[in-house]
Amino acid sequence: MSALSESDQKLLERIGTDRIAMRERKTRRRNFATALLFMAPALLLVCGMLLYPVLFNIWLSFTDWRKFKGLDTFVGFQNYKRLFGQIYFAEAAFNTMIWVVASLVVPVILGLGIAILLRGVRFENAFKNLIFLPRVLAPTAVGVIWFYVYAPTGLLNYLLSLVTGETVSVGWLYQANTVTPAIIATHVWQTVGIVMVLLLLGLSAVPRDPVEAAQMDGAKPWQTYFHVILPILTPTLVVVTIISVLAGFTAFDLLWVMGSTYPSQRTLSLVVFMYFEAFQKGGWAFGGAIAVVIGVLVLLVTWIQALLQARAERMVR
Amino acid sequence: MQSRQWITGALAGVAMVLGISGASAADVPLYHDKGFWSQQFQVVGDAAGEKTGVRIVQNSYAPPEQYKAFVQSSIASGSPPDLFTWWTGQTMNELVATGQVAPLDDVWEKLVASGEYDQSTQDLFKVDGKTYAVPFSVARWVVLYNKKMFADQGLSEPKTWEELMAAADKLKAAGITPFNATVQEGWRGFIWFSELMIRTDPEAYKGLFNGTVAYDSPAVEKVFQLWSDMYAKGYFTDPRSNEEPQDFARGKAAMYLIGEWGEGLVDAAGLKPDADFGAFIMPNMDPKLPSAVVVEAGPMVVSVAGKEKPDIMTALNFWTSVDGANVWSKASGNFIGNTKADAPNPTVAKISADMKTNNTVAMQRWWEAVPPDLQGELVAELNGFLLNPTMDNAKMIMGRMQALNADYWEAKQ
Repeated sequence: MSALSESDQKLLERIGTDRIAMRERKTRRRNFATALLFMAPALLLVCGMLLYPVLFNIWLSFTDWRKFKGLDTFVGFQNYKRLFGQIYFAEAAFNTMIWVVASLVVPVILGLGIAILLRGVRFENAFKNLIFLPRVLAPTAVGVIWFYVYAPTGLLNYLLSLVTGETVSVGWLYQANTVTPAIIATHVWQTVGIVMVLLLLGLSAVPRDPVEAAQMDGAKPWQTYFHVILPILTPTLVVVTIISVLAGFTAFDLLWVMGSTYPSQRTLSLVVFMYFEAFQKGGWAFGGAIAVVIGVLVLLVTWIQALLQARAERMVR
Repeated sequence: MQSRQWITGALAGVAMVLGISGASAADVPLYHDKGFWSQQFQVVGDAAGEKTGVRIVQNSYAPPEQYKAFVQSSIASGSPPDLFTWWTGQTMNELVATGQVAPLDDVWEKLVASGEYDQSTQDLFKVDGKTYAVPFSVARWVVLYNKKMFADQGLSEPKTWEELMAAADKLKAAGITPFNATVQEGWRGFIWFSELMIRTDPEAYKGLFNGTVAYDSPAVEKVFQLWSDMYAKGYFTDPRSNEEPQDFARGKAAMYLIGEWGEGLVDAAGLKPDADFGAFIMPNMDPKLPSAVVVEAGPMVVSVAGKEKPDIMTALNFWTSVDGANVWSKASGNFIGNTKADAPNPTVAKISADMKTNNTVAMQRWWEAVPPDLQGELVAELNGFLLNPTMDNAKMIMGRMQALNADYWEAKQ
């Protein structure tokens, strides 16, 4: 039996390696196909219900699609030019920013405060359920209820009359200085429950050791919260802030129900502005352009938040 | 057998969802956004079926924004519904401009010749000299007044502006607020503005709708001054109330300027028409002006393709007939302008008689007459006046309204 020549040996080795590589490629392809099959329902859903509508919306914002007209006229950036020149756009953008900041700051501070205060108290669960209850109501229903609470002859003025001993008839939803704070207060009333629950979950996951170590070192309770518990709670806080910011950006129901009678459209947010333009006036392409601007703003803010989250997680580690 | 029943049931369910339950060759679909009148529309539809063999099947879309989007997109795609309700004024002009709704002058020629309808009713549906709709409602905007309050103060229906103001003064002196007016639901701010425009300068009122009269013109300023003075005298109720018809029924005001459809709301709130409250057309400030009343007309239109279908025209003819008008008025309380049909209520009967006596002309309601793109913004400004009815605020409002108005008409050129 003659030994294989060096070149044959190399050839055989190469063939063997190629076969193995081919088999591996085949396996990878099969695995990918299997994975694709499993992912197909979710992919179809994401593409059909999210990706396609988003791309369609971006495209339509460059057309002249409006009442009685088709989608066939491309107008470039005309809708965007018109949008940035509109007197109501600046007002709506400003109001939206107020909403975003208020939705971020007030529910988070209140939710955290309530979560800390409620931990371990008697009837903790009853209090938690009570505070969470508004969350299960539809925002439109909440808007209608609070519309009547704020009415000149409503519950709030009645209670104020009892306290002051004089007839109070403030039109909370009819005055420039009270309409937005009143609607935001309703929003906080409804959202603080979910913020509290998330933060309570975060608090319950805080390990005992560093807390006990801080206490043994003589840290006061507020020092323990600020220097030990809060840094550990940061990832939960970032999630909560993202939820709150998105809630601020997409605020619609309460503004629609409670702000409709206020004149001069002072309560207009970008989302309500979009609805007015697209559906009440039939300017679908123009409404699409507003939606694109809202989308870009939301992406920008959530991207900044994601960066902050990554930084916070690195700090905790 | 069971599976066949299941399939039949499922098909029936799908048919119901699609709004084609019980459909037959002689069924004519009527599309509308008045969900609150769905049953009433169907009552007329069934009556049409019995009388003519062509049954109208109502299809309700709500809210109005979705309905408008549905019709607008169906027109953009070249296949509008055969028979559907719409709005008069500029909204109708836009629809007519698409060329997809049919003129109905031939129908109106017969309606007016028969004496069932007045020429002024036909005029409400005219665009550039052609008539494009028949009415499903013709509601005149009138002053309802509390008969007991008037009687207690020794007052009768005012025939002149001076009498109206004297009545207001007397009521106010007796501790009764003369007029009911609110910003309820965000759309009512225009009611008194348009009424006072008509009572002082009807030509300027018409000019507001084609951009020839500015919202900061002397004619408009005169109205705001008059309106502001009336507020200063305490003539109006708290504009922040959300129970306008109920307030009138509770006696919070002696008079209530509202469309005739408001009669049913006041009736439901406890005041009985004719017995407890009456109605009159507000007199003009200048007695030399012709008698006029604001009319809110609801049009029913036919597509160009629908006009060619005999069933559609049979359904339309039944709708406008005395029989159709009677069934509709009995079911919904609506008047459609058929003078030979029964009046749906005492208010309509009284106002129709007054209009005939005084040769009253119909004026389009501000809401329909103003360009649709301006409706929301302008009425929001007018609501702002009701909440702060001073002349300083009025001047700011006039400026903002004119800025919006000028932008709109400039863009149109």
